[in-house]
This record gives sequence, structure tokens and C-alpha cells, in this order.
Amino acid sequence: METAAVEIEYLRKRYGRFEALKGVELSVPQGAVFGLLGPNGAGKSTLVKSLLTIVRPTQCRGRMLGERIGHRRTLGRVGYLPEHARFPEYLTGRQIVAYTAGLARVPGREARQRTDELLEIVGMREWADRKNGTYSKGMRQRVGLAQALVNDPAIVFLDEPTDGVDPGGRVEIRRIIENMREQGRTVFVNSHLLGEVEQVVDEVAIMARGEIVERGTLEALTRQDNRYEIRTLGPVPSAVRAELEQEGIEVAGDRIAVTAEDAKGVQALIDRLREGGVVIREMKELRFSLEEVFLKAVEAQGEERAR
Amino acid sequence: MKQFIAVFVDALRLLRARALFWITLGISAVAAILYLSIGFDEEGVTLLFGVSRFDSDYLRLGSPLAEMFYLGIFSMVIVNLWLSWVAVILALITCAPVFPEFMAEGSAGVVLSKPISRLRLFFYKYLAGLLFAFLQTAVFCLIVFLAIRLRVGTWNPSVFWAVPLIVLMFSYLWAVMVAVGVRTRSVMASVLASLLVWFGAWIAKTVEEYAWTAGELGEVPAAAGSMRLSESEQESWRDRYGMLSMAYTILPKTSDTVNLLQRLITVEGEQEFALSELLNLMATGEPERDDEVEAALERHSMGFIIGSSLAFEAVILAFAAWSFCRRDY
Repeated sequence: METAAVEIEYLRKRYGRFEALKGVELSVPQGAVFGLLGPNGAGKSTLVKSLLTIVRPTQCRGRMLGERIGHRRTLGRVGYLPEHARFPEYLTGRQIVAYTAGLARVPGREARQRTDELLEIVGMREWADRKNGTYSKGMRQRVGLAQALVNDPAIVFLDEPTDGVDPGGRVEIRRIIENMREQGRTVFVNSHLLGEVEQVVDEVAIMARGEIVERGTLEALTRQDNRYEIRTLGPVPSAVRAELEQEGIEVAGDRIAVTAEDAKGVQALIDRLREGGVVIREMKELRFSLEEVFLKAVEAQGEERAR
Repeated sequence: MKQFIAVFVDALRLLRARALFWITLGISAVAAILYLSIGFDEEGVTLLFGVSRFDSDYLRLGSPLAEMFYLGIFSMVIVNLWLSWVAVILALITCAPVFPEFMAEGSAGVVLSKPISRLRLFFYKYLAGLLFAFLQTAVFCLIVFLAIRLRVGTWNPSVFWAVPLIVLMFSYLWAVMVAVGVRTRSVMASVLASLLVWFGAWIAKTVEEYAWTAGELGEVPAAAGSMRLSESEQESWRDRYGMLSMAYTILPKTSDTVNLLQRLITVEGEQEFALSELLNLMATGEPERDDEVEAALERHSMGFIIGSSLAFEAVILAFAAWSFCRRDY
């Protein structure tokens, strides 16, 4: 049976009278890329920091990698790249990775070997011995990723990993995240850049105002209820269009939207279109974008609170 | 151990990256070389490798007071002025950003998410901060140690007492700086607070010294040397001594800690270094020991000076550690 990498039963964090996390419950499957989405100030970073003991939660029950959350030794199997990561300017990329390795108690020889490998993987080998102060934002993030992996972690937390990184750097970071998944690591990505997350995650949770408002696999969350779209080569001929509209099927230009139990249910319509001489260019199951899912979930929470 | 080494190596790299560290080290080296330039010949003392000469009956090559004079310059002038004042101020300024920078957003997270307890991390960083004072003093004392051998002809390892004493004195102020740095995350506030405590400690010592001299010796400093007090005035000062010395008792004894060097330094391996003897030699030309002055200088035991200062440091550090461990980053 697959166990969860992180299983939060209840997590609450108050800053004075402000409640940053309102009793969050969350499960992160092992070996998956998990995206925690939410607008700025939703509580995403606070949640991650609570798991990593950077923030002291007001109340916390749960387990991470089979141990209670906050278990010190378990943190040796965790990697972390914070939002706006700031490493000392006077250290080189290699020294930053080595410093993290020392703190994570990675044995010397292994640390040196992994440092070289990781700097190669993140594309920083050539600049490894230059000072951090001379790096661009993208280079700093790459070094940040390398240090997050130096202790060969079972789970890696990446807080806004692509924030401020140029498009080329983002593609690189996505590739690195995919590599992590291939290596069997659980990757927990915090982000408000939905387009970025959508391309790499298996499962997401949406957070707003300290609460999880939606969660599930990307597949399940973006699926629209049994809706399919057929696209034709050129506009649908008016005779066919009239016939379809009479049956309650939506037609707009070269686009036909139909409700069916499953893909088999659409085949009859395809046959009819082809009999009518219509050339079919594409058929697909209609999906919401992650942005639409996100906005819907956040708005629904706002309305619920207003009531 | 691996974690301590990681923090320690990081502190070394931080120091290497700070221009002030090299400037201070450079000035220390120059001061040590100036010290080395003082020598003795058959007729007296030579300065600047023989450029200048002072004739003396007591201070000459092979005379018993030559080593004492040489050590006196080290402990009274160089240690008291350079190592325990200017170098300490530079060390405080250099080390001031250590905790505020570490606690900045995006910086502390990586370290705190590692399998190291906050308390341990705090003390590792605190100890690493003492590295500046240690390195500066150690390099300086090494040059002085060699200079004494070269100029006086004896190996005198007792000069290395300056290393723990200066580091100890620095640690009192560093503790204040750390506590304020942890609470406020402000470099400026932590520098000012440590300088304020230092100044406060100096005021407290001056007041205590005045009250003790008035109460016990019946004298107070005046424009023309000193003024004799009446019996009743002396009694009154004696009664008030407890209250007037309270701040001195509580606050760290910065200058007294450094002055302990004069008790720990030995001449020719066993003879005690007597400050009054040296002062009289310089004032009158006669090396006469003044037992009253020596007793006044040593009226506080080493245990009291270091113990009460460490108690202050422990309280401040406990507060700083508590703040460091309790806060969110």
C-alpha cells in the first residue's frame, strides 16, 4: 500500500490575532510532484515552513516520511529551497552546496561527489567556483536546487522555484523537477504561477486564506463533466449545424461541443458528421485550465465566507 | 561535529570576505612589528630597530628589568589600547551582521530545515563569532612571543594568556550584540547596544574604583594629585560602597578581565609581573614595588571578575537563545 510522504491531520498557525493556517488537513502522495497553489498571502509558505520547523505551528498533528512532523532527524531526508532564497554572497556555488551538506550531516566524500554531480545536473558546474554575489537570479535558483538535493532527500520542498527566473531558466527548473520525480522523490512545489505548475504536477491543492479549498489530481480537477469538443476543417455547414442545434448540441464556427457518457458516446456524432461530408480535424475531452479551477475554488470560498 | 565544522568554516569564509578583518589583521601585524622594533643594547633601549636610543641604567641588554619593561609595553600599551579597544570595536563592527543577516528572509530557512536543533545552531554561530577576536589576538601574540625571544632572549608563553582574556572580554560584548541582533534583526541597534553596555561597564568600574579609594584609602582624585578625606567622609563612602558598586558587580568587567593579564604574565618563568615596579621605574627611574598599589589592583579576585562577568553573559545569552529558539522565520 502506498503511504503518504506527508500526512497533515491538523495544522493551525496564529500570529497574534491573525490566523495564517486554519486547521489545514492535507495528504501528499509519495513519489509525486505535488503543487500547493494559492494567491499571495494564502498561507502556502507558512504551511511549508511549519512542516520544516522554520515556523512554530500553534497546533500540529501529522506525519512526514513516517515520523511526526517536526522530528529533527527526519529533516535529514528533506530538501528545501525557500522563496527568495538568500545564500551568503561570499560563498561560491560549490561552497553553498557543501555548507548545506555539512548541516545535513552528509559524509565528506559523499558530499563532494554529490556536489559535483548536482552542479552538473543544474548546469552550474562551469560557474561552481565563482562567488554567489556574481550570479544571476536564475543561477542562484539553480544552486539553490542543487543544495536542496545534496542530502539525497526523499522529499523536496520548493517554494516559488521559478519566481523571477527567465523563461529559459523556468524550462530548466521544470526539467530538474521532472528528473526528481523520475528518481522517485516526492516534490512539493509551492507556487502562484499556475501555468508553470500545470506543466509539471501530478496532484494539486488550492489554498486561500489559510484553508485548503480544493484538492485532487490534475486530471480530476481539470476535467469538465462529460464534455467533448469536436473541431472541423472550416465552419460546420449550415444544414448540419441546424440539425445539430435542433438536438441541443452547441455549434460555434468550427467547434462542436457535446455532452456524452464517455468517448464512445461521441462516435455516433462523428459518423454523422463524416456522412455529411464534414472533415474532422480534432476531437478532445474538454478540460478546465488550472487557472479556471483555481479562480472557481477561490471565488467559491469567498462567497461562502460572505454568506 | 560535522555541523559545527560547517558553521565554523562558513564563519571563516565570512571573515575572509570582510575587508575590515584584513585591515584589522594588517594593523595588528604593524603594531606587533613596531613592538618587535623595540630592543635593548648595552646602554639602554633602542626604538625602531635602532633608529632611536634611550640610555638607562636599569633597562639594558641582559638587565632583569628589561623583560618586565618589554612585557609592560605589551600588557599595558598594546593589549590595553590596541587589542582590547580598537581591535575589539573593529571585531564588533565586523561581526555585527552575523545574526541579523542569518535571520533575514530566505536565509535562515535552509539552515533551520536541517537536522540541527535551534539551540545548538545558536551556540555554534555564537562560538563562530568569537573566531575574529581569537584569530586577531592569536596572530598578534605569536609575533609578540617571537619578539620577546628575539629581544630579551627568553621564551615567555605566558603572553598567550592575552588570547583567552581578550576573547573572553569580547564574548561579553558579543553576547549583548547577539541578543539585540536576534531581537531586532538590526545591525545598527546591536552595535549601539554593545557599545552602550561597554560604556556602562566602564562608568560602573570608574564609580566603583572611586568609591573604594575614598572608602578604603581615604583619598579621592583631585586636580593636584589626590585629596585626603576626613574620617567621617571616609566612613560615609565606605557605607555607600555597596550601593555604588552594584552596577559594577552586575555588569561585565571588560577592562578588569583584560587587566588580569598583568597577574598572569610571568617574568623569567616565575617572577610575578609587578605593575607598580614598572610604573615607578618609568616615573622615578627606580624600580620600587608599591604593595598598596598592587593590593588595590588585585582587590577583586580573578574568580569574581570572570565569574560575575560570565554570569552576566550567561543571562544575556540565555535570553538571546530563548528568543532565537522561540521565534518564527
